[in-house]
Formats: sequence, C-alpha cells, structure tokens
Amino acid sequence: MNAPAGLDLASISERVQSEVQRAIQRSIKGVEYFSSSGPSLGSTPKDILAVRGTMNLYHYRPVADEIYRVPILIVMATTNRGYILDMVPGQSFIEFLLKRGYDVYMLDWTAPKPEEKSLRMEDYVLDFIPDCIRRVQQDSGEHDVTVIGYCFGGVLSLLYGSIFHDGPMKNLICFTTPIDFREMKLFSNFSDRRYFDVDRLIDTTGNMPPELILQSFEMLRPGSRVAGQVQLWDNIWNDEYVKAYRMMDRWGTDTLPLAGEYFRAITKDLMWDNKLYNDTMTVGGREAKLANIKVPILHAVAEHDHIVPYDAAKHLIVKIGSSDKEEVVLKGGHVSVVAGANAIKRLWPKLDSWLGKRST
Amino acid sequence: MADKGNDPAVIWQTMIGEMEKGFNSFANQAMGSPEFSKMMNQVGGASAGAQKQLGELMEKYLLAMNLPSRAQMVGMAERLQAIEGQLNEIKALLHQVHHNSLAPEGGYGTPRPPRTRRPPSEGEQK
Repeated sequence: MNAPAGLDLASISERVQSEVQRAIQRSIKGVEYFSSSGPSLGSTPKDILAVRGTMNLYHYRPVADEIYRVPILIVMATTNRGYILDMVPGQSFIEFLLKRGYDVYMLDWTAPKPEEKSLRMEDYVLDFIPDCIRRVQQDSGEHDVTVIGYCFGGVLSLLYGSIFHDGPMKNLICFTTPIDFREMKLFSNFSDRRYFDVDRLIDTTGNMPPELILQSFEMLRPGSRVAGQVQLWDNIWNDEYVKAYRMMDRWGTDTLPLAGEYFRAITKDLMWDNKLYNDTMTVGGREAKLANIKVPILHAVAEHDHIVPYDAAKHLIVKIGSSDKEEVVLKGGHVSVVAGANAIKRLWPKLDSWLGKRST
Repeated sequence: MADKGNDPAVIWQTMIGEMEKGFNSFANQAMGSPEFSKMMNQVGGASAGAQKQLGELMEKYLLAMNLPSRAQMVGMAERLQAIEGQLNEIKALLHQVHHNSLAPEGGYGTPRPPRTRRPPSEGEQK
C-alpha cells in the first residue's frame, strides 16, 4: 500500500515512537513535578544592609576584579518579589550586572503587617528610597547612585527623582513604567470610581489583600493560566521548559499585599486623577513633576506588555526634563522583557552598553 | 521530514495558542464595559467583607483549638527573619573587627574591588 502524497512512512513511525516516549516521560516527570520543589531562586550571594518596615536593602557581592565607580540601586515593584531579577545562574539579571562589573544593591519589599496598613506613599518616596540611597552611599563610599526601577518601582523612582532632583541620582533606568494610567484600560475599568469603593475596601481589609491583586493581574489574560497548564503538561518531558515554567509560576503567584493607605493613594492619585500624567502629582505636599528630572534616562518598554501597554508608558520620555534620554521598545511581555530568555539577548546587553559609559 | 502543517502536535499547540488568544480577547472586551466593573465591584466588595469576617471567625476557632493562626505564624516567621537580620549584622561586625578567615569570599571584612572599571570600547563590546 502506498502512503498518501506528502506523507513519509518512516517519519510517521519516528514521530509515533517519539510521541510514545514523550507520553512515558510525561507520566514519570508528572509524578516528579508534584513530588519535588522548584529550583532555588534568588541565590546570588548577598548581604542584608537594612530591614525596616516593608523595606529590605540588599548588597550583592561583587564578582568582577574591577567595578564601575557608580553603584546601582534597583527599586522593585511593591506588588512582587525581587527574585524575578535573580532567577537562577545563567538567567539572572543581577548575576549579569555583577559579571559586567557593576556594584549592585536592591530595594526589595516584604508584606506589610496588619499594623503597617498606615504606610503611605510618603513613606515609600520620602523615607524608604532616600534611606536606601543614603545607605548605598555610605556602604559604597560614592555620592552618585544609578537607580533602576521595575514597573511600579519605576513610578516610585520617578517620584523620588522628581522631588530630589538635585541629586544624588546620577542615572535613571525604568523598565515598563506606566505614566498615563488611563491607558491601562482594564485596570482603569476595574477601579472605575463610580463603582470601586476603595475607602470601603481598605477600611474593611486594612491592607490590600494579595489575592485581589493577583486576581486582577490574572483577569487581564483569563485564558492564559489554563492554556499554560495545558502547555506544561504537553512539555512536561522537557526539563528546561518545566524549570522555566516553575520559576515564572512561583514568582507570578508570589504576590505581595499592599499597605492600605499606600494603595488608597495609588487608586485616587494615579488611577482616578492620573496625576503623574497631568503633572499635578504631589507626595507629602512636595511637587513631583517629571520635568524636574534632568539626569540621563533609559526607558525599556515591551512590545507585547498586557499590564503596562505602550500607550501607558510612552509619555515618560516626552515628559521627562532630561536632555540625555532614550526609549527602547523590545520584543516581549511585561516580565519576559526583563527576565526571560529574550532579556538575556536584548535588554541586558542594551542596558550594559548604555549604562557602562555613564557609570565612571 | 513530515510537513509541519500535518504534524498533530503542531496543530494541537497552534490550536491551544489560538484558543487562548481568542478567549483572552473576548474576555477583555467583556471586562472593558462599565457594567462589568459595576458587577465585579459589587461582588468583590461583598466578598472582601465576608472574607474578613470568615478570617476573624477562623482565628477564634484556632484559638479555641489552641492552635496558632496564620497571622501568628507569619509573625513568628518575621521574628525569625529579624533575628536572622541581626545575626547578619553581628556577623558583619565580627568580620570587620577580626578580619579573620571566616569572612565569606567577597563578603564583609574582605576588601572590595577598586572602582576603576571603564566601559569597553565599541569594538570590544560583545
């Protein structure tokens, strides 16, 4: 009997064989998956310099023989853990920076305790960040500091930079940082002031529960969790795929609660009144206009960002007061642009070539 | 090699991808309406209140059972973290004072690399 045109019997037999092998591997690896813990994340050697309130300041131990003069302070988003930037060796942004000769510090956050529900935007912008900057200066012996902010960490860095515009921030790098909150269309709809009673919610719960934050992130792509699990099962024979899935899944679901007053301010000032975009933002009565920032700035945005779409992020470069400014639009999503396999090829080398010459 | 278009595994993966995209796009349209926001916030507001009440009830139940609540466990974890932090500070001080060989490589007490690095010239960039 002849095979139909276009079909090769030998390749079909190979294909069937490989599918049978994969099916066996799926059963074995599937059992392994549920009985083992995921890879250890955030393991680049570091020292804790300060822990206060929700603020944690780390210093990563340098690995290069010679480092750049200007240290880096990374400001993480307040909803997520900093280990997204330090996954596993070979896929760690921190490790990359250390190997390229940077001195790296990170401001990471922990969950606010119930009694810390009163932490306000002022505590983050006028206290925690300046305190970390001071400690970085003290520890490194350098006056200048480069600040890197990821997502809402970028917003906090911008607020800090626009208030403390006389220094000591020397360079600013923002990853996927929203400016026009109206353009985060679904979040904007979820928090529609006609229906979303933020006062009632925060007065009831104290802090913003992490489950609600995670739920609102997942609602942006409601089909993706199920599709991801189907794809995981499909690829469970592939150790590399499973490792990457576990890393991202663990980080994605490890959402932090937000201090009640801080969340109230985000909702009212940014989501409702869009004050950062409208140049009317103040923190503790101090004007926080983007035009006040004059230091060199690099803004990296993702082409397929479903959390901070390009339309929400594009105004940063327009509104900032710096003359040395650059926006780079890279392939990828909100997370993969900074931490995925593509980040290794695209964002990290770009950042190194931009920052190296501004770090001496 | 079999044509990729005939490969059932590729067809399956493409189908899953398309279904995901289609469902996300459909759901995003539905969730973009003011009616959805109204409904979501009504349900969300009620469930947040109910969740808080349930949490308080559970705390009382655990107390009656002489078991620690989640908040107490979190509190203990944070105390441990604070103790760890203090241990780190003591360790750092010890290393600074003694400059002994116990210092971890590159850690406190060992000299840091000089801040003299220059960026590679354009040709050297990898």
